[in-house]
Amino acid sequence: MTRLSRRQFVIGGTTGLAAILATRTAPAVGQTREISYLCWNNFAPNSDKKLAEIGQRFTKDTGIKLKIDHISHMGPQQAKYASEVQTQAGHDLVEMRMHFPWLYEPQLVDVSDVVGELEKRHGKAISSSYEGAHVHGVWRAVPQYHGMFVATYREDLFKKASLKVPDTWEDLYIVGKELKKMGNPVGIPISQNYDSISTAGPVLWSYGGMEVDRDGKTVRINSPATVQTIEWYKKMFRDCMEPEVLSWSDASNNESIQQGKAGWIHNPVSAYIIAKQRKLVTADGINHHRSLGGPAGRFETDTPRHIGIWKFSKNVDASKEWIRYLLGKRETYDEYIMSGDAFNLPVYAKLQDHPVLRTDPKYAALKGEGVEYHTYGWPAPPSDKVQLITNAYILPNMIAKAVTGTPTKDAIVWAETEMKKIMAG
Amino acid sequence: MAIGTLPATGAPARLPWRTRVRETLDRERVLGPLFITPALILILLLVAYPFCVALYFSVSNAFIGRPSHFIGLTNFIRLWDSDAFRQTFQNAFVFTGISIAFKLVLGISLALLLNQQLWFKRLIRGAVLLPWVIPTALSTLGWWWMFNSLYSVVNWTGIALGLMDPPGPNWLGQRYYAMTAVITVNIWRGLPFFAITILAGLVAIPKELYEAAQADGAGPWSRFWYVTLPMLKPVLAVVVLFSTIFTFSDFNIVYVLTHGGPINTTHLFATYSRMIGLESGRIGEGAAISLYLFPLLMFVVWAQLRFVRKQAY
Repeated sequence: MTRLSRRQFVIGGTTGLAAILATRTAPAVGQTREISYLCWNNFAPNSDKKLAEIGQRFTKDTGIKLKIDHISHMGPQQAKYASEVQTQAGHDLVEMRMHFPWLYEPQLVDVSDVVGELEKRHGKAISSSYEGAHVHGVWRAVPQYHGMFVATYREDLFKKASLKVPDTWEDLYIVGKELKKMGNPVGIPISQNYDSISTAGPVLWSYGGMEVDRDGKTVRINSPATVQTIEWYKKMFRDCMEPEVLSWSDASNNESIQQGKAGWIHNPVSAYIIAKQRKLVTADGINHHRSLGGPAGRFETDTPRHIGIWKFSKNVDASKEWIRYLLGKRETYDEYIMSGDAFNLPVYAKLQDHPVLRTDPKYAALKGEGVEYHTYGWPAPPSDKVQLITNAYILPNMIAKAVTGTPTKDAIVWAETEMKKIMAG
Repeated sequence: MAIGTLPATGAPARLPWRTRVRETLDRERVLGPLFITPALILILLLVAYPFCVALYFSVSNAFIGRPSHFIGLTNFIRLWDSDAFRQTFQNAFVFTGISIAFKLVLGISLALLLNQQLWFKRLIRGAVLLPWVIPTALSTLGWWWMFNSLYSVVNWTGIALGLMDPPGPNWLGQRYYAMTAVITVNIWRGLPFFAITILAGLVAIPKELYEAAQADGAGPWSRFWYVTLPMLKPVLAVVVLFSTIFTFSDFNIVYVLTHGGPINTTHLFATYSRMIGLESGRIGEGAAISLYLFPLLMFVVWAQLRFVRKQAY
């Protein structure tokens, strides 16, 4: 073996390093394809384990290294996206919730080709995924899975008190009065969190109301339907709930039913899944029923999730390959969905009657027959302004004002003024 | 007269490089800037640069990941139209004013107590610092649990002692209680800073002054009022100055405890700025919110430092 002198080593090393820095390209020997994927901590933890397992298989099959990072729910996620976009550095792929592709539209790669392939195999993406990820005629993220809100109740308490399972929001008021008397009030948050919006939206829609019209510009909150919504909330707050709902976080309603207090909540099935996994005494008594309706129909909030690829990524092709690997093959996608224990449901039409719904009779309500699913702000397209209305919690704050003493009319005028300012800004 | 020439002696002998370096470093004009440079680079990179970027954002219509344009003071003017922002503005002054007042009074009391000859003095002084040392987000999670409607140990204790009617106050869901809760946690966290700094000031007061005052017949109250307090003034000014800035810009306590609710009644500039800037993507507006009080705080800094200088000289 030829021995290198110290001088030769220094000169050779410096020249090589300078070349790498100048061309910003690693030498061929160092060019192992590697992608990084940022996702949230799934409320069904087994799903994260399965994702890691599938990722390892992907690396083995394709030679592409995959690094999966997890970040906690909502707040930190948004801050992370913002910092990655501002610095133009970070992960190649990001899991995005609901309408986020609209916020980051100019920064996301067009993935219409991948979605096209998936739709050919699995059928059309469901409407809420379309609302969230199909931005101005282009798929900016690939629909991955969804988890919808559903009526979650203590079936054992209902049976004990011979209460009828409600079918409409008005029915809920009738049983809610009894539940409160039993010490198991209804738990609907009216505070600055997303679950508050997830319930307020469907109630408003089922009375025929909306925040902003389909045109995405005209504020429509000042309507008789909003008056009906607020009056319903006022009587619910007075007769069926406790003031604690004004302070609740996204997790509070889950905890309330899991700890044996709430008799009825509006939440995804995670409340039940966690109770079951932790073997809580309430788990057996919790069940779900069909989403509630109103005079204008039966609506529900859906939380679709998608996978986006940042434009600054240098590994767009490899990233698309990972998405195809995870969602393209029916067996792999099924395996992934099954690991989520019905918290993560498939988002493509042909997979809607999925075996995961038959793993537990308590998931029957998730079939959502006759229920219309939408994301926040519907029917307005989720533009940045509509999202600011959502993120400023104007809808729950309007309700909170009304239930704590502000006249209904004044609360609505306040919300209308705030929304109009945002739309004008 | 013949002018002779000196015999050539050749160039002066070169000193070894180590000696030259040592001699260069011995010069104050070289060594001083050399020591300051790393700190200066850090300040420029981590403070000055982000501050300048934030300044630019605040006068632009910057939206995450999109091209931005200069719009002058529009963000600052438009913010005043927002009910939530006006509420935030009011909250910041209420939160800071009440917190500082309590921290000042309690801080002086605690420092006087710690200055006494106590058993386990070192241990007690160390324990007092705990709230200041524990990461705020973590300790605030503990407070959140204590104020939580489902698990509130505060309410449980109050009800058990017959001091509260069940279910007890809705700490985080009612505007005045929520503000009380965030102020309480801020006082709990900030008190050690006041107490320990004031204690340092107390220790530095010459004993002769107290002896002279005592010889003149001054009682404990007079000694405190005419000796302790005047001697502490510069320390108090600095402590209040720092705490005012920290309290105005507090984030963790409100974010963890109330998320700005109920109905924006506990939002502070930092939490509201995050909501608008990061959660909704409007970085320009978010930056304007966080910089809204910058001129006022600059004035406070200037006035207090001027006061400190006057006291010192």
